[in-house]
Amino acid sequence: MKSNLMKHTFYASFIAILLFSNLGFAQQEEQKEEFDVRKYKTVYKFNSFKQSDNSRLLEVSFIVQNKKDRKDKIPVFEAEIYFYNVLNDEELLLGTAFTSKEGIAKLTLPSSQNYELDEDGFINLTARFIGSKGLKSAKKSLAVKDLHLELNLKEIDSVKTVIVKAYTLTLDSLQTKVPLEEADITIFVKGMLSNMPIKEGSIEDGVFEFEFPTNIPGDGDGDVTVIANIEDHDEFGNVAQEKFINWGSHKITPVKKVKNTLWSESAPLWMYIVLSILLLGVWANYIYTIFNLFKIKKEGKSINLATEE
Amino acid sequence: MDIDKRKRELVKEFSPALENYSLKTKIWIGCLVAIILVGFYAFLVQLINGHIVTGMRDNVVWGIYIINFIFFVGISYSGAFISGILHFFKTPWKNSVSRIVELITVLSLIIGPIFILLCIGRLDRLHYLFLYPRIQSPITWDIIAIMTDLVGCFIYLYLTFIPDFAILRDNKELKVAKWQKKAYRILALNYQDTTEQRERLHKITRTMSVMIIVLAIVAYTVLAWIFSLTLQPGWNSTIFAPYFIIAGLYSGVGVIIISMYAIRKYFHLERYIRKVHFIAAGIVLLVMSLLFGYFTFSEYFARWFSHKENDVHLLDTLFNRYFWEFIFANYIGVLVPIVILFFKKFRTIKSITFAAIIAVLGLWLNRFLIVVPTLETPYLPIQDTRAEFVNYSATWVEYSLSLTGIAAFCLLFTLLIKFVPIIPMSGIIDYERDQKKYNKRQPKKAVK
Repeated sequence: MKSNLMKHTFYASFIAILLFSNLGFAQQEEQKEEFDVRKYKTVYKFNSFKQSDNSRLLEVSFIVQNKKDRKDKIPVFEAEIYFYNVLNDEELLLGTAFTSKEGIAKLTLPSSQNYELDEDGFINLTARFIGSKGLKSAKKSLAVKDLHLELNLKEIDSVKTVIVKAYTLTLDSLQTKVPLEEADITIFVKGMLSNMPIKEGSIEDGVFEFEFPTNIPGDGDGDVTVIANIEDHDEFGNVAQEKFINWGSHKITPVKKVKNTLWSESAPLWMYIVLSILLLGVWANYIYTIFNLFKIKKEGKSINLATEE
Repeated sequence: MDIDKRKRELVKEFSPALENYSLKTKIWIGCLVAIILVGFYAFLVQLINGHIVTGMRDNVVWGIYIINFIFFVGISYSGAFISGILHFFKTPWKNSVSRIVELITVLSLIIGPIFILLCIGRLDRLHYLFLYPRIQSPITWDIIAIMTDLVGCFIYLYLTFIPDFAILRDNKELKVAKWQKKAYRILALNYQDTTEQRERLHKITRTMSVMIIVLAIVAYTVLAWIFSLTLQPGWNSTIFAPYFIIAGLYSGVGVIIISMYAIRKYFHLERYIRKVHFIAAGIVLLVMSLLFGYFTFSEYFARWFSHKENDVHLLDTLFNRYFWEFIFANYIGVLVPIVILFFKKFRTIKSITFAAIIAVLGLWLNRFLIVVPTLETPYLPIQDTRAEFVNYSATWVEYSLSLTGIAAFCLLFTLLIKFVPIIPMSGIIDYERDQKKYNKRQPKKAVK
């Protein structure tokens, strides 16, 4: 336990800490000046995600990493990334985005976006950083096919069933559905902090089907969001689809009314009875004692009168 | 035996303590008043600025005020318990200590609840406790118990004072102020020490002595329930009520021994407060220290063994941040009195008093360790983790008001023993009268 008299010492320490921390900042600035870009290599990653609303997210992760100390990673902030759709050396600008403090640049292309496809049906995409004073230019390309993922949640003979269909469309004007031959797929249920995997398997001949587990509680109303996800596929990249349904096992059971609560207006009856008996007993004894004191006083008075007479 | 003559002799013996205020007494009273004045200033600072001037914050809402409350109320209840037993069983040596015990009981019961008032952030809402009491709340039980006990203790103390007031009223040679004589006359209630009056008074005193023993147990149990009925780690314990009663008795016996030593020394009452009284009180203290040690060990052992996360966290706090306080409260505060009081050759007046001082200090720290570390280790981690919010540090305002409580206790004690003799004269006369009756009843031995 220390007294408030220590306050002055506290203030002095606080100022000292401020001074030292300022020195610390100065040292950091010196360190910043000493930053040698040659000791670092660029780590530049490019990914494509087809989202549930059929929009496409293009994402670049741009960091520099110490060549010797791999843990020493610094994100590249505010670097402008150009995203292109490439066809036969011709680059069609899709848009640009700046990297965030985490070194991530994102560009979302709507489902209505038209892409130039090569003869095999691939969308060729390029993400380019044109370079700056300190950093060299960087470029990464990828090719993905447009995969369509259908997520159906049906009750078949009272069995809650998840059916995922995956197909591509032919390039001709008929756009016939071609079922996906084989791909790994994971089914998740959306959670508050992260998604919980409930099934892992393979799509075969364009279909993946399983029974939805009965022990998923869902939210307060029993609602669940089911997500089907194909991850890092060589041909299709990342493709996801999600749907919302009231399949949770959670049931709102009415809370049994507790008679005695902290906020109850009155206490249980027995409490009143016990307290009343106790208090009555004690206070009756007090009154009896005081009554006897008055008797003593009265007796004394009569003795006094008798003595005087 | 000429009763009136004996009464005059006793008044003559004790009158110097009532008639004169020596220089020592005046300096003593002056010092106590000075401490109280500083405390009054501290109270004004707290009243104007609020609880921000104390070390209590959102997390640790109870500090040394509540510890002082538990401590003083514990002393009071143990005093009531001991006093009731002394009267009920007509203990032979009750005359030497009964008035000391009774004064300690009432005064600590007056001082203790004042600390609760200091602990309340919104004193302007105090009357809500009485306007809208919640019978299901242990706080309400405690208020009812304290008020009932206070009234009971006042009545009991007054009953034991009446015969002495009558003796002082009837003595014409006593040189005290007119108001004091008038007070004796009013407070004596026309008591003439007739057989009828004496028997009536003895009967109601005996009933009240039983009543205050029961009240002391009930009231201190309720105080323990304020803690143990919560789910807080360190408080939620089934043995808390008996543990509190034993702890209260332990500290109460300690304070009685210290008071006996001080009064014996100051008033030169070696004839009345003898070594045998210290040894008897010391043995009671030994029994209490053994029981207290047993309860303390059981309490902490169960917490340690259960390995409940929050209890482990609390024990970590006790064995790290409060290591020395824990060692003093639960090792030194128990083992030192046991060692001193267990061996016959150590049982001197000074060593017994020393053991009592160690026990009282240990007990105060034990109360501190019950209240503060638990509040510093709550179930839910708090958002704002500034050290002053998490850890409790008492401020000068709290220390000053705590010292004021002790000073007010000492001042009231000093003033009361200037008003009535510290050794009950009526008790001595009753004892001598009983002895005479007893001797008469004994068959005379044949003389060869």
